[in-house]
Amino acid sequence: MSGKASSASIAAMYQEALLAHHRSPHNRREMPDATASAAHRNPVCGDEIRVMVRLDGDHLVDVSFTGRGCSVATASASMMTDAVAGLSISEAQGLSAALERTLALPEAEVTLPAVLVPLRSVAPFPGRHGCVRMAWQALLEALSSGR
Amino acid sequence: MASQTHSSMLSPLAPRADFPLLAANPGLHYLDSAATSQKPAVVLDALRGFYETANANPHRGAYALSAKATDVYHEARATIARFVGVADTDCLIFTRGATEAMNLVVSSWGRANVHAGDEVVITALEHHANFVPWQQLARASGSTLRIVELTPHQTIDLEQLRSVVNHRTKVVAITHVSNAVGAITPLDEVVRIVRSRSSAVIAVDGAQAVPHLPVHFDALGVDFYAFSGHKLLGPMGSGCLLGRRALLEAMPPYQYGGDMIEWVRDTESTWNVLPHKFEAGTPNAADAVGLAAAVTYLEGLDMRKVRAHELALLEHAEARLQALPGVTVYGPPVAQRSGVLSFSMTDVHPHDLATILDQHGVCIRAGHHCAQPLMRRLGVSATARASFYVYSDESDVDALIGALTAAQSLFSTAS
Repeated sequence: MSGKASSASIAAMYQEALLAHHRSPHNRREMPDATASAAHRNPVCGDEIRVMVRLDGDHLVDVSFTGRGCSVATASASMMTDAVAGLSISEAQGLSAALERTLALPEAEVTLPAVLVPLRSVAPFPGRHGCVRMAWQALLEALSSGR
Repeated sequence: MASQTHSSMLSPLAPRADFPLLAANPGLHYLDSAATSQKPAVVLDALRGFYETANANPHRGAYALSAKATDVYHEARATIARFVGVADTDCLIFTRGATEAMNLVVSSWGRANVHAGDEVVITALEHHANFVPWQQLARASGSTLRIVELTPHQTIDLEQLRSVVNHRTKVVAITHVSNAVGAITPLDEVVRIVRSRSSAVIAVDGAQAVPHLPVHFDALGVDFYAFSGHKLLGPMGSGCLLGRRALLEAMPPYQYGGDMIEWVRDTESTWNVLPHKFEAGTPNAADAVGLAAAVTYLEGLDMRKVRAHELALLEHAEARLQALPGVTVYGPPVAQRSGVLSFSMTDVHPHDLATILDQHGVCIRAGHHCAQPLMRRLGVSATARASFYVYSDESDVDALIGALTAAQSLFSTAS
């Protein structure tokens, strides 16, 4: 009756990499010279993540985030800032789509950059997918508003 | 009282075997009864029994089966009215739950009686269901919304209530028991304060009170009282509004349709008597019958014993929880709380706690508990909430504490 995932997968979900990003998130800072920003709130828990982007033409020169969230939301935001810095807008959007496919179909052969691979472990926990998505939804919104 | 009977109290008050879902899942520690309760077999049997022996549209057919459906529907109303201390059975309106009951009051009584210049008083402790409808009424009517703040222990500040209520106050909407922290409001004091300073109507959210405390509406001295069936062992989609007859009779209908009319002319209509005026359409008779079975079951347990059982479990659980490092428990001392343990742990987000606890078979709620105004005042986005009921016992507390310890060790070794 408890969650479908096994205790092996819970250990996997809270693996060292994910918890390390939660403990010491990368790029958790304000960005005074941001060219676009957007916040996404998870209405289930009230957590909010704000993502800031500095665009140079079509490229994400710098990406940061602020706000509070659970370990999954914080780690996802932290990993995202590492993964998308230096990409073009369409590449960043493609990465978000790839992550969505990974959550929906964990067995599918989706190539993710190494920094995002730990997020695969959240796939067996549908109740936590929203936590993974928060920062990415804020990013997509910032990118669409910043153009 | 609790210490006297402490050891026996920590076994379940109601056998798990009475609850098919719990009986089928012996490893499950269901600690989310403040969200919804599990259902005993007698309730499920009553639902099935209605459809198997009495199913027809109440009030409609001129045949024996419809008359039987009408009878069992009204017997259910009488049973539930007795349970909550309502002598005038017509003043119990069936609704989908406490949310619809409070929306009924706001839409019908509120729109007819609250105008620009009036004041609407609510509190920072309210569930969104007793907060947002009044907030929106104030916006639409041009009246002033006044929010009574809380004491440092998240109880309603009665001194502030006293200073806020005045001759412009049209309504005081207030919770009997907080869903988020379990704080019990001393309604007798609220009634004294409000009555001495205004002619305001008092509307009470009793969704977390009726399942856990003896409640007698006629003795409370309030005007409206809303509760849900699904939190007190009854079916989802069942609930009640209790109201004073004079108010209910003066109020316009809430919805229009079958059953609630007297005569329909081409350009105007007149309304049926109470309670039918507020029960448009085919009634939810089966769930009313299920809810009547639930309150009969609770009467058999004795609501005073239900309260004592939850208090004993809460005292035990809180003592063990406070022994863990980095724990903050919200709300007043246990004697002023229903069976709710709302807490946070340093460095572990409530969502992470809920996921880890789920792996130990422990179901708790993690979130804002539909009480965002309260969460803002606590300075948190969410808390973890464990809540007890008649089937809870000491093994549930053991499982909770064990799983919390595991969560803490997972997060502390990760640094």
